[in-house]
Amino acid sequence: MDESPTVISVRGVSKEFRHWGRRLRALDGVDLEVRRGEVFGLLGANGAGKTTLIKVLLGLTRPNQGEARVRGRDPRFASARTRLGYLPEGHRFPGYLTGEGTLRLFGSLAGIPPGTLNRRIPELLELVGLADRAHDRVGRYSKGMTQRLGLAGALLDEPEVLFLDEPTDGVDPVGRRQIRDILLATRTNGTTIFINSHLLSEVERTCDRVAILHRGRVIREGTVEGLTRRTQRFRLRLDAGVLPPEECLTATGAAVVTSNGALEVEVPDLEALNRLVDALRAEHLLIAEISPLRAALEDVFVEVVEEEDAR
Amino acid sequence: MKTWALIVDTWREALARYTLLGFLIVSTLFLLILTFALNLDIVDGSLAAGTLFGKAIELHHGARAIDTVVVTGQSIFAGMLYVLGIFLAVFATGSQVPNLQRRGTVDLYVTRPISRTHLLLGRFLGAITLVTANLIFLCGGVFVIISLKTGVWNPRFLVASGIILVVFLSFLGFMYLVGVVSSSTPLSIMLPYALYMVSMPLAAHDHIAAAMDSRFWANVVHGLYWVFPKTAEVGRDLTAYVLGRGTPTLVPLATTAAFGAVCLAAAVVTFNRKSF
Repeated sequence: MDESPTVISVRGVSKEFRHWGRRLRALDGVDLEVRRGEVFGLLGANGAGKTTLIKVLLGLTRPNQGEARVRGRDPRFASARTRLGYLPEGHRFPGYLTGEGTLRLFGSLAGIPPGTLNRRIPELLELVGLADRAHDRVGRYSKGMTQRLGLAGALLDEPEVLFLDEPTDGVDPVGRRQIRDILLATRTNGTTIFINSHLLSEVERTCDRVAILHRGRVIREGTVEGLTRRTQRFRLRLDAGVLPPEECLTATGAAVVTSNGALEVEVPDLEALNRLVDALRAEHLLIAEISPLRAALEDVFVEVVEEEDAR
Repeated sequence: MKTWALIVDTWREALARYTLLGFLIVSTLFLLILTFALNLDIVDGSLAAGTLFGKAIELHHGARAIDTVVVTGQSIFAGMLYVLGIFLAVFATGSQVPNLQRRGTVDLYVTRPISRTHLLLGRFLGAITLVTANLIFLCGGVFVIISLKTGVWNPRFLVASGIILVVFLSFLGFMYLVGVVSSSTPLSIMLPYALYMVSMPLAAHDHIAAAMDSRFWANVVHGLYWVFPKTAEVGRDLTAYVLGRGTPTLVPLATTAAFGAVCLAAAVVTFNRKSF
C-alpha cells in the first residue's frame, strides 16, 4: 500500500448553484484523496462537475457541505495557496500585458522575489517555447500559445501541487506532446498533479490514478492499470505487413476485430492463440509482433457511465 | 510588493485602454484653453481689462481688485471640476472591478497566495493613485496658470482639490460595491451617476419632506439624505471655501466619506464570500 502522505483530500463535498430560482447540483458528496507525487486524473463529460471540484480545491468556490483540504489546509486561506499552480480552463490573461509582463505580474502576486522572477521567467518561456514571443502582447497570442503561457504561469511558483483544467485544450498535437513532457518532468521533482480532462487518451498516457465523475458523483476510482483491464484481444503483426489467409484465423476460433496494417484478434483463450501461431508458422509466415491489448480508458469510461445511467 | 504589483497593473490597464491618455488629453486641452484664451490686464493690483477667447470681459463696476476676480474665477473652476472631475473619474475607473471578475481572469488572480481583501484594496489603491495623479495635473495646472497670470496665489483652491478627491473616493467605494455585486461595467458607471443626481436635490430634504403627505415617505427622504453622499452641500462648501467665505463644514464631508467607506467594506465582504 502507498504510504505517501495525502496532499489533496475531499470529504463529502457538495455544491449547489442557484440560477433564476432553479437549483443545480454540481457536486454531490464527493470523496477523494490524492497522495504526494501522484498524477491524478479527474474524468467526466462536460457538466459532470470537474471544474467545480477544482474550484473548491483552490478556494474559488465555497462548498455547501463537506470540506476540501490541500496539504492539510483550507485553500480559502491565502497562505494555503503558496506553491500551488493552477491552469484554469478558458483562462484569459489581461490582453494588454506581454507574455513576460504577465508572468511578472502573477509572479509578484504570488510573492516571488524580483530576483527569482528574473531567473524563472526566461527559463519558463523557453520551456514552453515562447521565448521569442516574450515581448508580444498576450492579446496577439493564438489559443495554443495562451495555453502554453498559462502552463508557464502555473509552474512559476515551483508548485508542490499543480492543478490543470483541460491543459491540452486548443493545443496542436506537437504542443500536446510538449505539455505532456513538461508534466512528466515536473512530476519527477515530486510535484503532485491533478488533471481535469475529457481527453481520455491524454489522461491514460499521463496519469497514475483516475476518478470518473458523473453528475457530481465519483462513480469509479482506481489506477489506470486497474481500470484498463486485460482483454482477450491481441495485436498481431506479420513481417512486411503481410495479412494471413482468413481460413487460418477462423479455423483456430479467432475473431478479427480490426485490421489496420496489423491485426487485432480476439481469442477465447491462450490455447486458441497458440493454435493460431502454429497455423501461421505452418504457412511459413513470419510473426513480427504479438502483444496483449487492454481495454482503452475510453471504453471503460463509456461502459461505467452507461451502467450508471441505466440504474 | 503585491500591492505595488496591483497598482502597476491598474496603471498598465489604464494605459492600454487609453483611459490615462483620454484623461491627459482632456486635462491638457482644458489647461491650454485656459492658458491662451484668458488674457488679463492688471494695473496697480486691479483688473483693468481682460479678454476671454479674444472677447473683452465686461467690468460693470470699473476696475476690480484682482484678488476678488481670481478667487471668484477659481471658485467657478472648483465647482466645474467638482462635477466634471468626478464624472470623468467614475467613467475612467468603472470597468476595473468587472474586468477583474471576468470569467477566466478572476481565477488567475484569486488563486494566487494573496487574500481577496488585499486584491480588491490593491486595485482600489491603484485607482486612487490614477485619479489623484490626474487631479494633481488638472487642478495643479489650473492653479499654476491662474496664479502665474495674475500673481495671486490662493492655496484654498488646492485644498478644494483634496475635497474633490474625498468625494470621488466615496463614489469609487460605491462603484466597487456595484462592480462586485453585478460584474457589469455599464451598471458600475451608471449607478454612481444616478446616485450623484439623486443626492443633489436631497440637500433640500426638509422642504421635500414637508411637501409630502405620507410621514413614511418623508422619513425615507430624511433617511436617504443621511445615508447618501452630500454632494450639493459639499459642492456649496467647496466653492464658498475657495472664495474665502468660511471653512467646509465637517458633517457633510464626513458622512460622504463614511458612505464610501461603508460601501467599500461591503464590497470587500461580498468579494470575499463570492464563488467564482
